[in-house]
Amino acid sequence: MKAFAHINACSVGEVIQLLAKYQGKAKLNAGGTDLLGVLKDRILPDYPELIINIKTITQLNSIEENDEGLRIGALTPLINIIASPLVEKTYSILKEAAVTVASPQIRNMATMGGNLCQDTRCWYYRYPDEIGGMIKCFRKGGKTCPAVTGENRYHAIMEARKCFAVCPSDMAVVLTVLGATLTIAGGGGTRDISVEEFFTPMGNVLVPDEMITMINIPKPSPVASQNFLKFTLRKPIDFAIVSAASLITIDRGICTDARVILGAVAWKPIRVSEAEGFLRGKELTEEVIAEGARLALVGAKPLSKNAYKVDIAKTLVKRAVAGC
Amino acid sequence: MGEINRSPYESTITLTVNGDTHLFRLGEGCHEVSPSHTLAFTLRERLGLTGTKISCDRGACGCCTVMMDGKAVLSCMLLTVECEEKVISTIEGLGDPITGSIDPIQQSFIDHTAFQCGFCTPGIIMSTKALLTENPSPTRGEVQEALAGNFCRCNSHYHVLDAVMAVTRKGG
Repeated sequence: MKAFAHINACSVGEVIQLLAKYQGKAKLNAGGTDLLGVLKDRILPDYPELIINIKTITQLNSIEENDEGLRIGALTPLINIIASPLVEKTYSILKEAAVTVASPQIRNMATMGGNLCQDTRCWYYRYPDEIGGMIKCFRKGGKTCPAVTGENRYHAIMEARKCFAVCPSDMAVVLTVLGATLTIAGGGGTRDISVEEFFTPMGNVLVPDEMITMINIPKPSPVASQNFLKFTLRKPIDFAIVSAASLITIDRGICTDARVILGAVAWKPIRVSEAEGFLRGKELTEEVIAEGARLALVGAKPLSKNAYKVDIAKTLVKRAVAGC
Repeated sequence: MGEINRSPYESTITLTVNGDTHLFRLGEGCHEVSPSHTLAFTLRERLGLTGTKISCDRGACGCCTVMMDGKAVLSCMLLTVECEEKVISTIEGLGDPITGSIDPIQQSFIDHTAFQCGFCTPGIIMSTKALLTENPSPTRGEVQEALAGNFCRCNSHYHVLDAVMAVTRKGG
C-alpha cells in the first residue's frame, strides 16, 4: 500500500476534529476489511493522507438494551452481535444476517458501522489500478456506468439511474426492516437519521467530518416473526446476489402488519410498500403471498444480464413472508 | 474540544508475537514499520515469520489467518500499527520451542494428509486453533462453519475435516 500517516483516535471529538482538519483527505478505519482492499487496489482517484483508527474508541463497542430498544455502538464487531444473548432473544434477525456476512475471520474484525459504510462491490468501480488503470465510472465522476453495456449480472434491478452498483450491506437490510436509526456525530453536532434515509445513489449521507456513533433499534413487536434470507452462489465469503428481510405479524390467521425489505437490488435496501399494503389485512395463503411477491418486483427494470435477480427476489419475498 | 497537540506520527510500536515482544521504529526505512504495512507483511518481512502466507491479500482466502487475542483474524487486512497491545500468535508459535514437539493439530494434519501443496495449511491450522481454544469439542458442522473462511485449491477439505475431528476426539 502507498504510504499514509496514521493515528489511533481516543475519542469521537478527536476524530471529528481530525476529519475537519483534513477535509476529506482522511479516512476512518474500523475493521479494515473493506478499506484496506480499497487502498491496496487504489480504486479511488484520491488517496487518503491520513488513516484514523477508530477501533481505539472502546466506548463505541457496546450492546445495551433499554425500554425503547437496543443501542449498538458503531464499532461493535459482528461477532459480538452473533454472540449476544440480548440480540438473540428479541432481535434475532440481526444475528441471522450477521452470521451470513463474509467469513468467520472477517466477522471477528468487521464492525456494524463499517458494514453500513462499506463501499460497493461493483467490479468496474473496484477494478484495481495495477491492472491497466482504475476505471473512471459514473460513481467516480466519469460520464457513464460501464455496467449498462458490460457485465452486469450482479448489478441493480431497481431505482438505478446513472450508477447501477448495489448496496452490499446485509446489516442495512435487517436494520431497515427493524426501522433502526443511526446517530451521526459531526462538526455541526449530532443528528439522528433512519437507516432507510442513510444511503444515497452514490454512497451515503455522511459529509467528510461525520461518523456513525450509534445504531438505535426500536423493539420489534414480540409477536412479529423475523426472517432474513440471503441468496449467494457459495455460502461463505459471497456478498448477497439478492437478500430479503421480513417482519410479519399475524393475528388470528390474518396478517396485521408486514414489513418487507429487499437487499442488493438497488443502491439502498428497498422497502416494498405496495406489497406490504397488499399483505396487510389478508390471510397469507399461497396465492396472496405470490401476488405480494409479484407486487414487490413490479418496479424492477433489469439490465441485459440480471433479469434472473427478479425471479430470485420474488422467491425470497415469498419465502420470507411464508416463513412466519 | 481542545486542540490536538499530539503528532499523527507516533515514533515506535511494540508488537507481541508468540510471546516475544518486538520494538519497531515507525517509518519507511528497511528495518522500520510503516503505518501502511499490514500485519502479514510485518510478520513475514520484518520478523521472518514466513509461516503466515499471503495469497489473495484482499481478505478472501484465509491463508494469512493468525490469532489475535484468541480470535482468528486476517493479518492481510490489519494494519501493524493497530496491533499494539494485542496478543498475536502465528503458526510458528504452536510448537513447543524447548522440546521441538508440534501441536496436536499439526500432528493430526500430518497423520491425515490434510494438505497437498500446503500453502493454505497455516491459515487453516490457525482457524482450527482459534476454534478449539473456544470450543474444544465442536461438531463436524461447527468445524465446517469455523473453517468456511479458509480456501484450499487442492481440494483436501474432507481430509482437513477428518484431521480436525480426530483432534477434537482426543480432547484438543
